[in-house]
Amino acid sequence: MSDNTTAWKLPEIVETPSRFRNTIGKFVVKRNSKCISCGLCAEICPYGVHLRYENYDKSQRPVSHKCIGFKCKENSFYCVKNCPQGALSVKENPLLETLGDYRWTAEMLLGHFAMAETGEVPKVDLEHNLGASGGGFDKIRFKHPDPAKAVTLSDEEMDTSIELNKTGDDRPKRTISIPCYGGGMSFGSTALPVIIGRARAAKRLNTLTCTGEGGYPPDLLPYKEHVITQVATGLFGVREETIKYCPVMEFKYAQGAKPGLGGHLLGEKVTEAVAAMRETVVGSSLFSPFPFHSVYSVEDHKKHVDWMKEINNEVLVSVKVSTPTDVDMVAVGAYYAGAHIVHIDGSYGGTGAAPDIAKKNIAMPIEYAIPKVHNFLKNEGARDKVTLIASGGIRSAMDVAKAIALGADGVVIGTAEIVAVECVRCSNCESGRGCARGIASTDPELGFMTTEEYCEQRIVNMYMAWRKQWCDLLRSLGMTSIRELVGRSDLLVHLDYLDEQERATYQPAPSYKVII
Amino acid sequence: MKTNQTDTIQKLLASRAGLPHIQTPIAKCDEEGGCGVTGFMCSIPVAGRHIYEPSVQMHNRGNGKGGGIAAVGLSAESLGIPQDVLEDHYLLQVAYIDPTCKEELEKRFILPNFNVHTSGMIPTISDHTAIGLEVKPPDVCRYFVRVKPDVLAAFIKEHHLETLPERKAEDEFVSQNTYRLNQAYYASLGDKQAFVLSHGRNIMILKVVGYAEQATQYYCLEDFKAHGWIAHQRYPTRGRLWHPGGAHPFSGMHEALVHNGDFANYHAVSEYLHQYKIHQQFLTDTEVSVQLLDLYNRTFEYPLEYIIEAIAPTTEYDFDSLPEEKQKVYRYIQSQHTAGSPDGPWFFIIARNDPYNDFMQLLGITDTAMLRPQVFALLERDEVQIGLVCSEKQAIDATLQNLAKEDPRFCPVADKYWNARGGSSTDGGAFAFTIKDSGKGDGSKVLSTENKFGEPIVLPKGQEHFDVKAPVMVSDKASSIEGEVSKHIEAADLSALKAYCMANITAWTFADVSAFCKAVVKNAGKSDTAKANAIEILTYLSDRRYDSGKKKLSSVLDMVRTTLTDIFMSFPKLSEKAGSRYSYIDWDSRDTLRSPEGNESVLVINARAFEPEGPNCDSRLMNKAFNLGWKHYICFGYKGQRFTGCGFGPKTTDVTIHVYDSSGDYLASGIDGLEIQVHGNAQDQLGQIMKSGKLVIHGDVGQTFMYGAKGGEVYIMGNAAGRPLINATGKPRVVINGTCLDYLAESFMAGDPLNGGGFAILNGMAYDEKGKLKAQDTPYPGSNLFSLASGGAIYMRDPERKIVDEQLNGGSFARLSDADWALILPYLEENQRLFGIRVDDDLLTVNGEKKHYSDVYIKVHAVALNKH
Repeated sequence: MSDNTTAWKLPEIVETPSRFRNTIGKFVVKRNSKCISCGLCAEICPYGVHLRYENYDKSQRPVSHKCIGFKCKENSFYCVKNCPQGALSVKENPLLETLGDYRWTAEMLLGHFAMAETGEVPKVDLEHNLGASGGGFDKIRFKHPDPAKAVTLSDEEMDTSIELNKTGDDRPKRTISIPCYGGGMSFGSTALPVIIGRARAAKRLNTLTCTGEGGYPPDLLPYKEHVITQVATGLFGVREETIKYCPVMEFKYAQGAKPGLGGHLLGEKVTEAVAAMRETVVGSSLFSPFPFHSVYSVEDHKKHVDWMKEINNEVLVSVKVSTPTDVDMVAVGAYYAGAHIVHIDGSYGGTGAAPDIAKKNIAMPIEYAIPKVHNFLKNEGARDKVTLIASGGIRSAMDVAKAIALGADGVVIGTAEIVAVECVRCSNCESGRGCARGIASTDPELGFMTTEEYCEQRIVNMYMAWRKQWCDLLRSLGMTSIRELVGRSDLLVHLDYLDEQERATYQPAPSYKVII
Repeated sequence: MKTNQTDTIQKLLASRAGLPHIQTPIAKCDEEGGCGVTGFMCSIPVAGRHIYEPSVQMHNRGNGKGGGIAAVGLSAESLGIPQDVLEDHYLLQVAYIDPTCKEELEKRFILPNFNVHTSGMIPTISDHTAIGLEVKPPDVCRYFVRVKPDVLAAFIKEHHLETLPERKAEDEFVSQNTYRLNQAYYASLGDKQAFVLSHGRNIMILKVVGYAEQATQYYCLEDFKAHGWIAHQRYPTRGRLWHPGGAHPFSGMHEALVHNGDFANYHAVSEYLHQYKIHQQFLTDTEVSVQLLDLYNRTFEYPLEYIIEAIAPTTEYDFDSLPEEKQKVYRYIQSQHTAGSPDGPWFFIIARNDPYNDFMQLLGITDTAMLRPQVFALLERDEVQIGLVCSEKQAIDATLQNLAKEDPRFCPVADKYWNARGGSSTDGGAFAFTIKDSGKGDGSKVLSTENKFGEPIVLPKGQEHFDVKAPVMVSDKASSIEGEVSKHIEAADLSALKAYCMANITAWTFADVSAFCKAVVKNAGKSDTAKANAIEILTYLSDRRYDSGKKKLSSVLDMVRTTLTDIFMSFPKLSEKAGSRYSYIDWDSRDTLRSPEGNESVLVINARAFEPEGPNCDSRLMNKAFNLGWKHYICFGYKGQRFTGCGFGPKTTDVTIHVYDSSGDYLASGIDGLEIQVHGNAQDQLGQIMKSGKLVIHGDVGQTFMYGAKGGEVYIMGNAAGRPLINATGKPRVVINGTCLDYLAESFMAGDPLNGGGFAILNGMAYDEKGKLKAQDTPYPGSNLFSLASGGAIYMRDPERKIVDEQLNGGSFARLSDADWALILPYLEENQRLFGIRVDDDLLTVNGEKKHYSDVYIKVHAVALNKH
């Protein structure tokens, strides 16, 4: 462990409620007119659903999203039963049927809202680690651990850090304290407070976030030690100066959500500010070409890497590629050309701006790509010399752990971070002036519906809740460091390949009906 | 006749039907990227060591996991056989990965089929690790063979090949025998045992798991002579290889092919070949490339032009620009063969022997989109002619320098350098250097150069190279020249000396030029001002184009540039603290780098021995020097070192860099304020993401120039290759005096030029051999001009309005307004100052008549694009 980790203290969790009036909950608690404001419910509910002010005796509207629902029936403090007037009722929130999709189910969204609010694993019964996709990570489970092997260490003593420079070259080591860093979201696609909030969170978590391809907003400079400069095919906003700022630079060759397609920012999102940052024309759609015009082969790629290393003599180089069938060859080629980090981006990732047909049909799912690349690098004798980062549909704490067990060192998180700031995955990121939740928008009004502080703390909270889950998992497996988990696919099972009896011992894959 | 020919082709194809083959997997055996390729064809035999230096200098295009060389037009003497045996017999070279299989292999495939004239193991050095090879190269046995007459007769009879000339049937037998051998000892085995390297006449291939030049070292070919050599640095992405089966070159029949690139449709091309009973054994792009070539050449007997068309079809605007007759033929070819045309970036270099027509040839063919780098060069004099083609110009320079060092008949500077325009109607994207018997009866050869359409590349006639073998030259004008130089060398203004040179250089003899150079060297020692002026006048003579009279310009340039180098080398060393404005540093003295003291201001860097990239490159030294306070640089001795000017960061407006010799890729990429002048041609990927500053190229510039640039002032004296200014934004302002190959300013987004945005001026001019500036045939030959641009403009000199709507894709033409002219005039004036290209007398004068700017220039501006 290098110095910047030992000095690192777990960041403080600060409860950060929703910025909207009504937080969406799994249950709806209703109070009818029979209520006499006796205050009993507020007295007995340990979850804070019923609030009551000291000097004001009217009952408040119930805080539904904190209600644990029907399982409370067994409790002596179940409000519905205890209410002398029978004024309270609990039912499932019908909104859930319309929220989310098969990969990011409503419960997974609500679970992440809750983690981002509290920094804790949700108390409400929400399945936040498994989606209803019917495959992939949703069918993979960690084997039942051997209780005899479990270790007892506090969360503070557990190591969740990973090393980004394993090449042994003359460049600095760089350790990040959680096995995740933020994916690229450009100024142009995303609201500035969200971008800055992510960077502030990255600083507190001792990890990184990424500019995406849209220039380097000067507001990011105070956090530059935690910001990756992305160099993508349009080269928008990339200057020598922005490459000199960063500890890690990322070449974006392709995105798993849309391999073979470049970026595409619609004219409506190219506002004055966005056009100024990218030095382009206001209102004109911006295309990033595919591929780099200067890189048509691996030896061009080496030259490209050498260029970055020449501009910034300390920078680490990450190479982001999608997952074609020969992703293993691509990865090993990137490594031999001098990359420190090979970042493979599978399908399933991407926001609403990537076309569905591309997201769902082109790249290889990441859970296939990770072991393919991991094993290939191992056989090449190069696995120890490169940091393998995976992304593309990694949604939750357990997805991260599964990706690592399949062979990645760490992962890149995009969507989950914006879910933490209350994205509801409506998939309209690209349309009009942008996002109804004020996230994927550069509109002067919509783009400032959030604040940096709010985004920062919500993201910190979510990762802290994730970290608790990783620590629990590692302890149960008898490990003290997440690095021990890398490549331990022997610890995983896939439900489809178990016999009936054994499968029954694992939590079944959730199945929901979603209205899309 | 036609039916006969078709019939013969059918029989030939049918004869291959029974060959055993593996099911071709969808994937190739190794992914490989682009690579470094180099080759030359010379009218006289040249030793293998001359392919050594260019290969070494392209190490960074390979990864040492595969290298190979081929030689054509071999020396019978070196091989120890009579000339007629060399020409008549097949030179079968078998690589034994597992030497124990040799006896069995010979019994199965060689002895029963061939009369062996001579055979023997190719000599090697004793220890492969001594030259840095990790994997021992295979033992190679060389057999000079003819097919046994009875075997051949039986083969012809079995396959009804009577209509085929017997010699061609013999070729086919050799080819099929090789295929069977490879199938038995290579393709069908997990542990490969042996494979045929080459089997053509008067041609051979050798390859190793290593770098290309290590093949020449290991197989002791450094003194081996041949007319043509090609070499290939491979970059397979897989790291562990234990035999060179997948390395280039690959052989069809009498040819060797190396390839830089990667096919996207490997499987489709393989399937296409299967229709003609051609199957793969080595599973690389290069193998299928040479199979295509062999199919079109040997089976279909297409002329070269049609072969090239079948591989790299002419499309779009270029197709429309072809004569109707050609369109008809090409349409037939495309309808037959487009399915087999390799898709993706590729560049082929092919060395071949045509024993039926008695010539040898070196070919360079580029793909339609020109996605791989390529440079051609030609040097011609009475005694010797050489044609070269390489991935980088620096490799050409290295070859010529290397040759010139040993043989004064070669000049280190070629007479002509150019790029091919892939799939074009102008040159067809391919050039062939052909050597044939000179007809003098002494066995000597002569080289000629043609493009795809057979149009010759002709150099100015009646000019001589400097003859180094001649007795010491004495100029009768020496004292007057010396007087003139000494009069002006410390002048504040050099225009008088420049005018003197321009007035006299045409008539000067080489002796006079030499006297001038000597006088400059002698006088440069007087003072710092004299040094500065010496550099300026020699640089002027090196950069400007003029009528060199009876002298070959390449020889004049060589003299001038050598003198410049001598002057640079004579500057006081940094460690000497001599009090001069100039301080010299090189690789050996790099540790003496310190801050400038006193009036020291110019750091003169000899880049020669620095590495091309990484911690030991000269660019890194310059960054260190900058941090120590150095602002002005003269860099020379380049042999392709990359990244000059990179890494200085922003706010560097007070920095200047002058670059001499063979500068490398990515020069000035990212500069933000500083000024760089390149004295000579520049390579690829210059000025990418450039933010501000000034870049001046006294020559041509290569591919993807100013990709993603944000600003800066840029002046190019010559042409730009493919894809300049793509995705540029902000306010780049660029003057290109020549033309561009294709995709000029695609997706240009540089605002409104009249309100601070960017633009490019394309003058479409070129110098003729008399140093006169003339309009090129068209200012811009391709389509995809200003494609999908949303901002900025192109101002094009097109007085005859040759550019048409079909060449645009999204842009539109407009007449220049006064505001437009007021905007571009200052840049044209600076262009005049830099290159001597006069606004009034050269640019605005058309056929001797001065015209209004709006009749000469035309503006291409962006139109609003669909918002989605």
